[in-house]
Amino acid sequence: MIRIYFAGVDIGSTMTKVVIADEGEKVVSRVISHTGAEHRRLANRVMEEALKQAGLSIDDISYVIATGYGRINVPFADKQVTELTCHARGVYQFRQGVRLAIDIGGQDSKALKIKDGKLIDFVMSDKCAAGTGRFLEVLAPTLGLRVEELGETSLRATRKVKISSTCTVFGQQEVISLLSDGEPLEDIVAGLHDAIASRVASMARKLKIEPDVVFTGGVAKNSGVAKALGKNLGCEIFIPDEPLLSGALGAALLGKETVMKALERGEPVKRSEHRLEEATFFDQVE
Amino acid sequence: MVNAAGTGLIRVKEIYRNREQRVKELKAEGKTIIGYLCIYPVLEMLTALDLVPYRMFGDMDETITSADDYLPTMVCPFLRSVLDLGIKGKYDFLDGVVMAHICDVGARLSHIWDVAVKTPYSHFIDVPHTDRKISRERLKELLQDFQETLEIFTGKKLTPAGLKESIELHNRQRAMVRELYDLKKPDPPLISGTETLQVMIAINSIPVEEGNNLLKEVISEVKERGDDVPKKSARLLVWGPVIDDIALIEMIESLDATVVMDDTCVGSRNFFADVPLTDDPLDGLAYRYLEELKCPRTFRESNTDGVHRGYQADLEARFGYLGDYAKEWNVNGAILQVPRYCDSHGYEVPQLKDYFEQISLPNIYLEHDYSKAALAPLKTRVQGLTEIIG
Repeated sequence: MIRIYFAGVDIGSTMTKVVIADEGEKVVSRVISHTGAEHRRLANRVMEEALKQAGLSIDDISYVIATGYGRINVPFADKQVTELTCHARGVYQFRQGVRLAIDIGGQDSKALKIKDGKLIDFVMSDKCAAGTGRFLEVLAPTLGLRVEELGETSLRATRKVKISSTCTVFGQQEVISLLSDGEPLEDIVAGLHDAIASRVASMARKLKIEPDVVFTGGVAKNSGVAKALGKNLGCEIFIPDEPLLSGALGAALLGKETVMKALERGEPVKRSEHRLEEATFFDQVE
Repeated sequence: MVNAAGTGLIRVKEIYRNREQRVKELKAEGKTIIGYLCIYPVLEMLTALDLVPYRMFGDMDETITSADDYLPTMVCPFLRSVLDLGIKGKYDFLDGVVMAHICDVGARLSHIWDVAVKTPYSHFIDVPHTDRKISRERLKELLQDFQETLEIFTGKKLTPAGLKESIELHNRQRAMVRELYDLKKPDPPLISGTETLQVMIAINSIPVEEGNNLLKEVISEVKERGDDVPKKSARLLVWGPVIDDIALIEMIESLDATVVMDDTCVGSRNFFADVPLTDDPLDGLAYRYLEELKCPRTFRESNTDGVHRGYQADLEARFGYLGDYAKEWNVNGAILQVPRYCDSHGYEVPQLKDYFEQISLPNIYLEHDYSKAALAPLKTRVQGLTEIIG
């Protein structure tokens, strides 16, 4: 029997993620790589790596959906779908009872209201970095820590210091001042996590929170933020094993559904040429 | 001779690109041009005295600098932009301005204008904020006061007959706008949201009689159209305050969506209610501007007898007309667009979202910075809405 495969490419502001799944919705390959300024045009390299991992070639892939902030820069994609819809689908795969998904990424945070696996409403943070992963990336060096160390550090806190400012730049000034006052490091980190969590929770409350709540995105790897978020929302939150991949997984699964729907209706599947090459930008075209 | 049936929309685009050209020509011919903000200044009185009303807008492409000397940066960017343009001399051709108590910033702007810009004539109408009988009586008095200042400024007397004639002229324009909006009911609509906004901005930039002639041409031209507007999955209603540039609607319509209906103050809001012809024309004007204009700046209740009939009745009283629009224009999604810091519209958003949920209309809230450069990140939100609609 010939197996068919579907790929999801999620180009976020910080990380690029690729998931390849088969028709049985089994993940056969997953790659997470830094997006970066130059990498944004090089989605093809991440895709090549994912194909190599699965022992496949691009011709084996029936459908590719690109999503995320850089979704327009994927020349081999058949379709672009927003990260909102893709995350909703990916999160549903992880937990069927999901009604609210919260994703905190490098550039923004969003809350998705989901019913039967379908996105029905959403809110997104706008330009302020305070409720995002960037907030932690900026503040970690000020505290002499790596981003990865923040979660565990905060779990050692005996109390959390109140961080009054929710602006990243002013937050940094506040942290410096707290350090000068001799506040314990772990209490400051716990305060920072609470600042992010309360900001994102108040955004999510606009959607009227119902369980189950799933937390995804790079910041979901931070156990301190996860704990603070659960407290702020007043309910248990569930985190997938790999919280970065829900968008790419959702994209791959939506690709499968697109193909299956077309086949059921006896319609041809509209596909691109699947050219595995670098993205060309408008300013480079003669 | 050029066939008139094919030139209406071309003329609309010309006016859109160079809004002030026509009033500047009229000024050179000796006409008096009166700028106004928002939809509460009673234009019927201006037209009746042969004054040319000119709606004042901001400029999304112009960075606000000079206005910061007078207004804090965390207030309505549209009104800041209008003041900024005024200080920079963009409105020097105006002989006067009329502003109203549309919102708190709008009210203060009227006074700041007199200090920072100065025009020979200026008037502020302190329109009440409730739709009770006592407010209507108060508005009538305020309109008498407005009339007196206009009479002093022009040296002319405003007669009831002249005012009635002007009301009829403006009502004619309203009827024609409604006729144009009817052409948005088919699927696909005969005229896009972007084109509709251009038409609306054009008629807000020229004398009412010229606007009526232009609308007549546009309507007959649009009626003859074939498949000029592409069919899209999402048929959207856009709600909110002023939209004075096509950039936002163009962005929406670059996706799988068409704006088939709006409740915005450059769009349908100012044209879906006529002024009733009453014995004393001021009665009809006070009634229309306070009761019939559905802007959040006026506090509306489901009752005026002190008896609370519950949240659902309140939502229906405040937003029921939007449910009617959704049905009549076959709308399947809504965008609540609000420039940042627009308090009067922002306050409505949670309840309006509840209302839309009640009538099962998918919707999103788009807060923007009144800047074209800042529109790009909003595209994902609009695309997300089109994906929800499917």
